[in-house]
Amino acid sequence: MKGQTSALSKSTAVKFRIPTAENLVPIRLDIEVDGQRFKDAFTWNPSDPDSEIVVFAKRTVKDMKLPPVFVTHIASSIQSQLADFRSFEGQDMYAGEKIVPIKLDLRVNHTLVKDQFLWDLNNFENDPEEFARTFCRDLAIDDPEVGPAIAFAIREQLYEIAIQSVASARESRISKKGRRGAEHAIVSKAGGTAMDLVKLFGHKSSVVRKRKEWDVYEPIVDLLSNEEVDALEAREERNGR
Amino acid sequence: MELPQLDPTSKQNPPDEPELDLYTIPSHSSWFSWDEIHATEEVSLKDFFDGSSITRTPKIYKEYRDFIINKYREEPSRRLTFTEVRKSLVGDVCLLHKVFLFLEKWGLINFAAPSTGGETLVVGDEERYKVKIEGVPTGIRVVAMPNSIKPISALPSVGDSGGAVDNGFKLPTLASYSDVFADLMTRKGLVCGNCNEICDSGHYKCMKGDLLICVKCFKNGNYGESKSVDDYKFNDCLQNSSNVGAVWTEAETLLLLESVLKHGDDWELVAQNVQTKSKIDCIAKLIEMPLGEIILSSAQRKVTSSELIGNLNNSKQVQLSTSESLETDKIGDQHDEQRNESEHNGDAENRGPPLKRQRIASAPGDGGSLMKQVALISTVVSPHITAAAAEAAVASLCEENSCPREIFDGEDDYVTNGLLSPTENCETKRVLEDPEMKERHSQSGDEDSCFKKDDIPLTLRVRAAVATALGAAAARAKFLADQEDREIEHLLAIIIGTQMKKLHCKIKHFEDLEMIMKKKHAEMEEVEDFLISERICVLQRAMSAGIPRWRDHSYVKS
Repeated sequence: MKGQTSALSKSTAVKFRIPTAENLVPIRLDIEVDGQRFKDAFTWNPSDPDSEIVVFAKRTVKDMKLPPVFVTHIASSIQSQLADFRSFEGQDMYAGEKIVPIKLDLRVNHTLVKDQFLWDLNNFENDPEEFARTFCRDLAIDDPEVGPAIAFAIREQLYEIAIQSVASARESRISKKGRRGAEHAIVSKAGGTAMDLVKLFGHKSSVVRKRKEWDVYEPIVDLLSNEEVDALEAREERNGR
Repeated sequence: MELPQLDPTSKQNPPDEPELDLYTIPSHSSWFSWDEIHATEEVSLKDFFDGSSITRTPKIYKEYRDFIINKYREEPSRRLTFTEVRKSLVGDVCLLHKVFLFLEKWGLINFAAPSTGGETLVVGDEERYKVKIEGVPTGIRVVAMPNSIKPISALPSVGDSGGAVDNGFKLPTLASYSDVFADLMTRKGLVCGNCNEICDSGHYKCMKGDLLICVKCFKNGNYGESKSVDDYKFNDCLQNSSNVGAVWTEAETLLLLESVLKHGDDWELVAQNVQTKSKIDCIAKLIEMPLGEIILSSAQRKVTSSELIGNLNNSKQVQLSTSESLETDKIGDQHDEQRNESEHNGDAENRGPPLKRQRIASAPGDGGSLMKQVALISTVVSPHITAAAAEAAVASLCEENSCPREIFDGEDDYVTNGLLSPTENCETKRVLEDPEMKERHSQSGDEDSCFKKDDIPLTLRVRAAVATALGAAAARAKFLADQEDREIEHLLAIIIGTQMKKLHCKIKHFEDLEMIMKKKHAEMEEVEDFLISERICVLQRAMSAGIPRWRDHSYVKS
């Protein structure tokens, strides 16, 4: 793993994948049939055989006591999201260093989590699940659903960035034909969100943040009361329409 | 990256010495230094050192590390969490997490904090070292913390003879346990291959190699790589030490004296301190030395005489069994030294180190002295027993040392004089005026009067005295034991007699009861006969009256 990592970061391009230790695709389901709505989020291993999808869908429907019509919807939704993912596989991803800020803003049941931190897209040992576990332990979050939700949110954003970087990698390939040494410009441009690494990690600056920035990168966890949850849900409902 | 071993001198002068705070880190993390990055860090966190990225450089690692450790040290009793740290550090959270876990694993952070349920940090309590540190990460000093100084000075054994002489010897700064004691560990060869502790109780030896592991590790199942229980054979250290025990180096002797001063007659502790010798060896050595009892008493330990005598007897045997030449050499040497001392210094000056204290001056004054206990006991015995004991002691000593009998003759005069005198002396003098003490006085008298008896080795005289006293004590003990035996027999006889009486009483009682029963029985039989005869009478009358009910009557009759 180590060797692979350094080799990867030295080479300019990487084949598309979720930039984490485990190549798991975030799948989000939001299905409404006959006024009944089913929302779920989980990760899927793209190397699993696709026959598993239907089995999974059937099991979910049975467990959640949903009408059987959901089976096909769930299966097709997963199938299409996996197909999206696979369409990027085999393509080159971003080149060079890339560290991106990940922002969390999610509510799981009664827990509200807001957080921001940096994530190294080139470090393929990174483990969102491990991070989420530590997060929950450190902040003493009891709800078992919070951890997976955080990990999922991170994966989703990483997925998004990975997709963007495929496009930017394509651009850089084109521009490389024109002029050499354009890499840095491309990198800082790529995705728009990547941090200026030279500025952050250069010799002149300290990796210790200025105190006034601490609040920005500090996780905020709130436990909501029932009323607040209801109010929030109502608002989300309204926004959704 | 150049990573030299931590150099203590470079951190010798931190600018604000008084403001230093002490932090505890585990000794296995003593490689840590603010100024450098150690090989351990390099190996564990390769990412920072393979030059793969501008975001992962040694400099950045050091900044991360220093910040996290300082953050923790703002409040060492509180557990620092990763989530608290990461908000203040720029960089990949996962990488930060790795650094954080690494520091936590080595106890550089969260060492003093109470550990949370799931995680257990490996902490070697006995090997804690304190780190002196300023608020800013510029200098660091590792010193043994106060309570670890104590064992070090208590076990001067660990150092060499130099350390033993000077109690307050100092460890070099940043020294680790193995730095200081490594030579000792290898020299002894009885170091656990697993935990590197010294095996003083015993150890297991691996048949497949030279690996030794201590009992503790063995029990815990830490057999080491590719080894199993069957590969190990138990070796008791006592066996080894009895082999080693015969020869005493000067350092060991010093050590023994020092630990005896410290622990008195607690031989377990003393033996522990001396380490290279067993309990028996220590006792034997102390007895061999002419000053043993004084040292003992100067340690202000009151001991029951029986215990002491027991020890003494044991040690005596051991002593006698050790090789003769060695013994005489040793004692002779020490004794010469001792005698010179006593000649040169007057009686008044006995403030020197314990080894040099004057026996003659201090022996009579010390109440708890071992020899005095023996002497006291031996006084109780009748004179002729003591005489016999002295005779036997002298005889065996002569035989053992193959020296002419005559050298004791002068002394024997004293002895016999002493023995015959108690009747006269007992009112005016203290009971201490026993043969043994007499002998001593005679010795001191000898010395004062220009060594008249200098041809008799002092060693022999001392030993003769000791043997005599012991013999007398033994005789007394035997006498007492016999008395006790008789007493016990007598008491037993009384008990048995009483029991017999009790039994007799019971038997009589039963006989009475039997008599009563017999009488009752006779009465009953009479009643029965009377009833039968009456019945017959009735029947005869009925028959004569002609009532035809034969069957019933015959029934009744039968």
